Amino acid sequence: MLDVALVSLIQDMSEKAGVDGVIQYWSRVGESLAKRMGKEAYLGWPSFNVALREGRTAFSIEGEVTALTDLAITDVDGDVVGYIYALKMCVFVPTILRVRYSVGEVPKADQLVSDEYNNSVRDSAVCNFCVIHQKFREEVAKSITVADQPLECLQLADRGFTGETKISEDFLRKIGINPEYVRSLLRNYACVYAILMKGAKLKGEEVEE
Amino acid sequence: MKSRTTREPLLEDNPFVDVAAYLFLEDIADKQGSAGMNTYLMSLATSLARSMPLEEYQTWEDFLDAIRSNESIITTFEDVITLTENCIITTECPFSKGWSEYTRRIGKFSKIHTEVAEYYNSTVKPGAVDTGCVIHQTFRTAAAERIKVGGKSVKYAQIAAILSDGRKKLAPEEWTPILLEKAGVTQTQLNMIIRNNACVWILYQ
Repeated sequence: MLDVALVSLIQDMSEKAGVDGVIQYWSRVGESLAKRMGKEAYLGWPSFNVALREGRTAFSIEGEVTALTDLAITDVDGDVVGYIYALKMCVFVPTILRVRYSVGEVPKADQLVSDEYNNSVRDSAVCNFCVIHQKFREEVAKSITVADQPLECLQLADRGFTGETKISEDFLRKIGINPEYVRSLLRNYACVYAILMKGAKLKGEEVEE
Repeated sequence: MKSRTTREPLLEDNPFVDVAAYLFLEDIADKQGSAGMNTYLMSLATSLARSMPLEEYQTWEDFLDAIRSNESIITTFEDVITLTENCIITTECPFSKGWSEYTRRIGKFSKIHTEVAEYYNSTVKPGAVDTGCVIHQTFRTAAAERIKVGGKSVKYAQIAAILSDGRKKLAPEEWTPILLEKAGVTQTQLNMIIRNNACVWILYQ
């Protein structure tokens, strides 16, 4: 109920604070949630992936996340420095449906906020809520270490409620994954992202240099 | 009309959204205090009710049927039992899942949620245990105003709210006999109801 009430306020918020104001609000919510989840440390990638599967990491709050262990990210030395992860269902689909069945439709400001985010921050949002959880993942990665290495999260691709997709080709090039492969993942998943060791020297970056 | 059961798997709350929404409210409270947050919550709930369609029913029985099948706006977010023609019982608080996700993933629920409820009780109407109650009770008041039965408006009053942890808020003693008479239940029956339900309220004309 609280989520539907907040959605009904998006239009009002965007009219009063502007769409960039809503982006700032949502970014702060994502950041605050990540910081309140606390720090985590794992011995290595297997223990992190098991924790994820068992719903013990902060990333698990978003729902059913699968570690695509066939898609390991390696550095220039061939060492595994991360993996690709996929979220089965967008966290906001239940909210969007509840809004649909109780109020009628999602406010038009939803599209305006995501368009502004795509223009001014990063071209990766399919709805205004992407602002919250993309920021959340970025921040939560900073609170987790694997083998004493801090992590970073890269948003790779997402599919919206109406089927619109966003694919971040720059990040895919950086980690050396074919965009068409990620596009096929979106048939079965709503959101695809990479978690990797911060500062790792990647093959894709070497090619760019 | 599509049945509720087919929607249920998709309508299950997502913990991320629930917890993020609570933190969003706490962010507002940090800046505006209990009074500001109370005003914000009431405006949030009123705005939500006003964004929903108006309703009209020929008879009270038609209205009760819509309530029981969650087709009326006033019970969109909750599962209820209609104990009598006027007494409605919410079996599970719609905020309880968010509350339990918050306590599981973040820690102890921030005390600002109780402080805001106390502010609401002293300045608006006594009946809230935490911020969820402020939203819910304000929503019901505004939603009732959008419903007409036999051409007449519907009114709402709160009798008891009970949280997942057992904390409860009952209507003031001096109001209880009147509310129970309208509800058509005795004090003993009320005590039995609040043992294992989340909210007791009435709708009348």
